[in-house]
Amino acid sequence: MQPVRLKAQLDDEHVRLRLFLIVSVALFVGLGGFIHNIQVHLEGKYAESERRQSIRRVRLPASRGRVLDRNGTVLAHDRPSYCIAIYIEELRRPRSSETFDAVEQVIDSIGDTLGIKRAITRSNIERHFKARRPIPLLAWKNIDDDVLARWAEHPAPWTGVDIVVESIRDNPLGSLSSHVIGYVGKTNDLSAPFDYFLPDVAGRQGIEAAFNDHLTGTNGWRILRVDVSGYTHNVEGEKVPIPGQDVVMTLDARIQAMAEAKLEGQRGACVVIDPQNGDVLAMATAPTFDLRTFRQASVYKSLREDKIGRPLVNRAIAGAYPPGSTFKPVVALAALINNVLTPDTQFLCTGTYRVGNRPIKCWLETGHGEIDMRKAIEQSCNSYFCELGMDCGYKRIYHVAEALGFGQKTNIDIAGESAGLLPDDAWKRRKTGAGWLGGDTANAAIGQGFLLATPIQMAVFAATVANGGYVYRPRLVARHRRGELINDMGWDSATIDIIQAGMKDVVQTHRGTAWRARIDGVTLAGKTGSAEYGPGNSKKYAWMLLYGPVESPRYAVSLIVEDGVSGGTTAAPLVRDLMEDIFDLDGTRKRPPPVEAQS
Amino acid sequence: MNRVFRQLALLKRKNWIMTLAVIALTIIGVLFIYSASAASDDPRLRMLYKKQMIWLCPGLLAYISFSLIDYRSLRKLAWGGYLFCVALLVLVLFVGVEVNSAKRSIAIPGLRIQPSELAKIAVILLLARRLSRPGQNLGSVSSVFSVLALVAIPAVLIFVEPDLGTAMVFLPLMFIMMFASGVPYRVLGLLILAGMAIVALVLSIMFLPAKFDATDETQLAIMKAVGIGEYQRKRISVYLNPDSDPLYGGWNKRQSEIAIGSGGKFGKGFLEGTQNMLGYLPIYVAPTDFIFSVIAEEKGFLGSATILFLFAVIVVCGVMTALAAPDKLGRLLCVGVVAFIMSHALINIAMTVGLMPITGLPLPLLSYGGSFMVVTMATLGIVQSVHIRSKETGLTFEQGGLWQTG
Repeated sequence: MQPVRLKAQLDDEHVRLRLFLIVSVALFVGLGGFIHNIQVHLEGKYAESERRQSIRRVRLPASRGRVLDRNGTVLAHDRPSYCIAIYIEELRRPRSSETFDAVEQVIDSIGDTLGIKRAITRSNIERHFKARRPIPLLAWKNIDDDVLARWAEHPAPWTGVDIVVESIRDNPLGSLSSHVIGYVGKTNDLSAPFDYFLPDVAGRQGIEAAFNDHLTGTNGWRILRVDVSGYTHNVEGEKVPIPGQDVVMTLDARIQAMAEAKLEGQRGACVVIDPQNGDVLAMATAPTFDLRTFRQASVYKSLREDKIGRPLVNRAIAGAYPPGSTFKPVVALAALINNVLTPDTQFLCTGTYRVGNRPIKCWLETGHGEIDMRKAIEQSCNSYFCELGMDCGYKRIYHVAEALGFGQKTNIDIAGESAGLLPDDAWKRRKTGAGWLGGDTANAAIGQGFLLATPIQMAVFAATVANGGYVYRPRLVARHRRGELINDMGWDSATIDIIQAGMKDVVQTHRGTAWRARIDGVTLAGKTGSAEYGPGNSKKYAWMLLYGPVESPRYAVSLIVEDGVSGGTTAAPLVRDLMEDIFDLDGTRKRPPPVEAQS
Repeated sequence: MNRVFRQLALLKRKNWIMTLAVIALTIIGVLFIYSASAASDDPRLRMLYKKQMIWLCPGLLAYISFSLIDYRSLRKLAWGGYLFCVALLVLVLFVGVEVNSAKRSIAIPGLRIQPSELAKIAVILLLARRLSRPGQNLGSVSSVFSVLALVAIPAVLIFVEPDLGTAMVFLPLMFIMMFASGVPYRVLGLLILAGMAIVALVLSIMFLPAKFDATDETQLAIMKAVGIGEYQRKRISVYLNPDSDPLYGGWNKRQSEIAIGSGGKFGKGFLEGTQNMLGYLPIYVAPTDFIFSVIAEEKGFLGSATILFLFAVIVVCGVMTALAAPDKLGRLLCVGVVAFIMSHALINIAMTVGLMPITGLPLPLLSYGGSFMVVTMATLGIVQSVHIRSKETGLTFEQGGLWQTG
């Protein structure tokens, strides 16, 4: 072999080696450039992927505001409920079935030590493990104080176990004003960007529902980092929830309790309003239920199955009844402001009033004889009001009743209200096919026939008469001290005076239909009503409207008892008892109450 | 005694820059093996870094021994070593320890040996010997095919273990050594074309029948006929379309990319890598094939660039040694070792960043693994042996080594 050839071959090999060196270094530089792109330019994208797979957001419910009465008595609040929680990640085993065994072992051991029965099954544990692994498993919820005390005596002998506090809605006064306060239910609001939702509630009925936004706080959150098996690794961040705001109601828990006591054992409703501003001081309905127990399946079932008592219905706003004679002052007002007659105009009552050939009986079969407006109100004379109604005409009655709020919802703060019914010609044609007749007008003039009104509407009417013609929206929550005026009736004093005088006589005279409602020391005014219903008109709704003291009315009351004898016999004594309690409470009546009202 | 000291004095002549890079990489390896297994519940796994430190001793011993042995004396051992390795590769198919339905290692009481790792060093030796034989026509058909056959025998044996990654790494090794030895460019070009044709053929066998609505059974039958396993097809298809199977086949690839990408410029800190510590990067691959992902996550681009730089230092030192080598055997040995380390490093890193399919190839000097560590150190020792005896050092043949060849 020639040395020259060898030299040439060596040179060629060295060229190749240098080529190889350049390519190698280029490869390293190129790979470095690619990695630079990933780590420096695309870092955000990969960091986001990394967060997405390992970050879990847990919604922390905010505690709900309280519901208070006007004096600050708590009617609904969030009570701390102590739960025993298992942190599964601290009990983890390589295999999930072994983890379940470990969790069960701990639960059994806690149960034995604290003397409590196991509350969750293995399948509960498995379900929690599948769906909610990063958050603690609640083995017992709402444990009582004894158990809590025993827990405190055993300072954490178990790993992965702790007490956590949940809050549950509680009503310290139980059944008091259940229908008004209402209740809460679990929400299914899964719209927010969370992975796990700790139980949260929203109002379902009553104030809880109507003021839900106000009562609900701002949820907090907790950010967990989970490992590849889905267990919590650490807490990355937390925002403490902001509690909701309280709602102060116009209700007075003491008056509410009195009203509920009067209705005990009855089916009916009672509303007490402040005539100066529409504040609802009490809204009772009977039968009622206890907010603390009604969720229990058996209790709830019996409440639902009581088709006559229907305890879940708030009769005070949802019950639409024929108003009976309590409607008569509306007719009188319609006649007076339209100058159909003067208060002194007298009609003859023979005991029966005829419309065409249909007789309408007065409750006094012998008749009242010649009778004027004030007496007719005092005596609740049917013949007088039938004739007055016929003279006045239904249109005028309709307009006044409409202005007073009949046939419309009062827009009280809670849902479930009935509008009642203020019929007219068009309505009757739609419903029955026949037009409005004179007999319909006579019927309406004594509060019978198609007319329907709710106890809250009647209370608003009583308040309007009491304050001389201002229709206030009845309210359960007051934003301002001043009432929310819906309508100024514009009655002149001569008009309203005669109505007020008649209604005062109803209570204050011997002949008045509501003499049983009279109490010593306070002058009251009112109107009774008895509306027949049921098969053969055998049953009566017993109504009583009342306000007082007449000099400067502070209370306007409507009360109805389904299945009573008459307004004067059944409702008036109940209202009297209520007013006695109320005036004792507010100090109007300084003297001890007499043993029995004068008869 | 005097003679032994004289021999050890040779060590002073070795390439210190490369040695520093090697030692730096092994230390980084131990640290991040510790990090990669620190979150494990299994105490044996947590001890991996200690085992790696223990393996460093035979590794360093091999490094020093091979740099002292005159590389020319290895020429004699080439065929023996090669045949021994082929025998072991056949043996492992019968008595190998089965892990995940692959038989890759032979258990001798006390340790496990992967014959495929030994085969790498044996192939480098034999190819260097074969290609450095003077007076041959490297472009001749018989020469090319004999080289191909020498590489194919161990590669096919490794392929059927199966260990696709290790089998494939012989190809760049062979090609670079052929290139450096002076095989004509046209032959090299033909080899590349042939290689591409084979890859295209394999891919079409894997995927074309399915494209033409063949049933899975026919697909599998066709693949079985040519010796391709289902899992290999799956790996390739996951590489081509990683979202097709994000939880199983695509998991490691995806999590590795997230780990590296989320590391950013400076990383999340030692033992702070969430992908690593929370187990998204599976604990059974993090200390081995995916050690680079752990480093890149915890030390960011700074860490990645450091690793790349250290490997580049080894490659540059190796090629410089080759350029200065006193003979062709030494030159080809250096090139073989550089090719071996570089292909492992580039393929492994490219795989962790998602540039190549996951093939299960370790990262030299960093990944956990005893026999691979010792083999790598031994090959680097050979480079040092060449360096010590290179022209610049002026060492004559007679002074050349402890065991002199005739």
